[in-house]
Amino acid sequence: MPVFAALTEEEYRRLCDYLYRRTGMVFTETKRYYVERRVVERMTATGSGSFPSYFARLRGNMEGEIERFVNAFTVNETYFYREDHQLQCLSRDLLDDRLRASGRGRSIRIWSVPCSTGEEPYSIAMWLLENWPLVDSCDIEIVGSDIDTAVLELARAGLYGRRALMRLSPYLVEKYFTPQGPETWKILDDLRESVRFTRVNIVEPGETAPHGRFDVIFCRNVLIYFDDASRRVAAENLYANLLPGGYICLGHTESMSRISPLFDVRRFADAIVYQRPPGDAHG
Amino acid sequence: MAEKKRVLVVDDAALVRRYYRDILEHAGFEVDEALNGLEALEKLLAAPVDLLIVDVNMPRMDGFTFVDAVRRQALPLAATPVLITSTEAGPQDFAAARAAGANFYLVKPISREKLGEHATMLCGVSGAGEYGFIRP
Repeated sequence: MPVFAALTEEEYRRLCDYLYRRTGMVFTETKRYYVERRVVERMTATGSGSFPSYFARLRGNMEGEIERFVNAFTVNETYFYREDHQLQCLSRDLLDDRLRASGRGRSIRIWSVPCSTGEEPYSIAMWLLENWPLVDSCDIEIVGSDIDTAVLELARAGLYGRRALMRLSPYLVEKYFTPQGPETWKILDDLRESVRFTRVNIVEPGETAPHGRFDVIFCRNVLIYFDDASRRVAAENLYANLLPGGYICLGHTESMSRISPLFDVRRFADAIVYQRPPGDAHG
Repeated sequence: MAEKKRVLVVDDAALVRRYYRDILEHAGFEVDEALNGLEALEKLLAAPVDLLIVDVNMPRMDGFTFVDAVRRQALPLAATPVLITSTEAGPQDFAAARAAGANFYLVKPISREKLGEHATMLCGVSGAGEYGFIRP
């Protein structure tokens, strides 16, 4: 049994304040067990004998501790073809709409953020190959971004276990992966080359802006970790990263209407998505 | 069983290469890929193929320059059949393909059936180049 840090109320509050300021993520008392687990992991890894000494190390960013700490906090559970009704919506409606409306020729930019270990952006690439007849006639750019540099390295490597592939048919697994051992599969190089991975913190406009504007953004199951203020900042940043008329897909439990009035809600056959009004070219 | 015909797909977009490769492998071809004309030329000089499928707009060496370079090689390399694939569909684009020495021109998007049929047909073409151009 690991020995838990047993943070005092005051220490826990200070840590959560700090985490909020750095990342926008909110952890309440109900998440205390989860937070303490991560703190103990990092204290053990850094050989810190007490929480105050660890916290000093964190705040001083010794040996890049801030990033390591944030990495330990990010929830990285996902799998291929998760919520594929949104992918269906992408290939049936959103992309064709963008090609008609964007006035940018045959260029399509798609952003998966946060992308975790790459399942989502690679799913988008696979889905388009399987389901979008225009896949060879458009200049498709898929960018996967995450705050966690450790998961980005894994995403670039493109190695996956059985759990990540659980929603894929044997046909798709055989077509797009090569076995690398009894329980590991590697995604094909053509797919790895079709996704560009970058680091981003979506509550930092200085980090989101350089990514440019996209036709479609997938931002699923991350805003639920933010408080209202951070959610709004993230939504405004993402809005600025959308081309006029561009779409954003959230997780099925999330609602943009409760976060920001900037977006129009659009109901398609397969999904409800949010749209930057086509007429709003500024911001 | 007859040896598989070899096709080199030349396109700078990884998704497009994967899409065509999958279609062609299903149709019974052996497929290799190149990112641009320069890489394609290197691969071709190392090992001849039965068909080149070539995109037009690529960095470093575009498709027309590549096809022209192929036609300037010694026979039989110079006679390798070439299928141009492009989103451009203007008369000047067809003319440029013809001038470079392409055998056929398909406008993207290209369906699975169409690519498979044309690859099969073109692999039967010989003596391409000077007389081999087929109108799109």
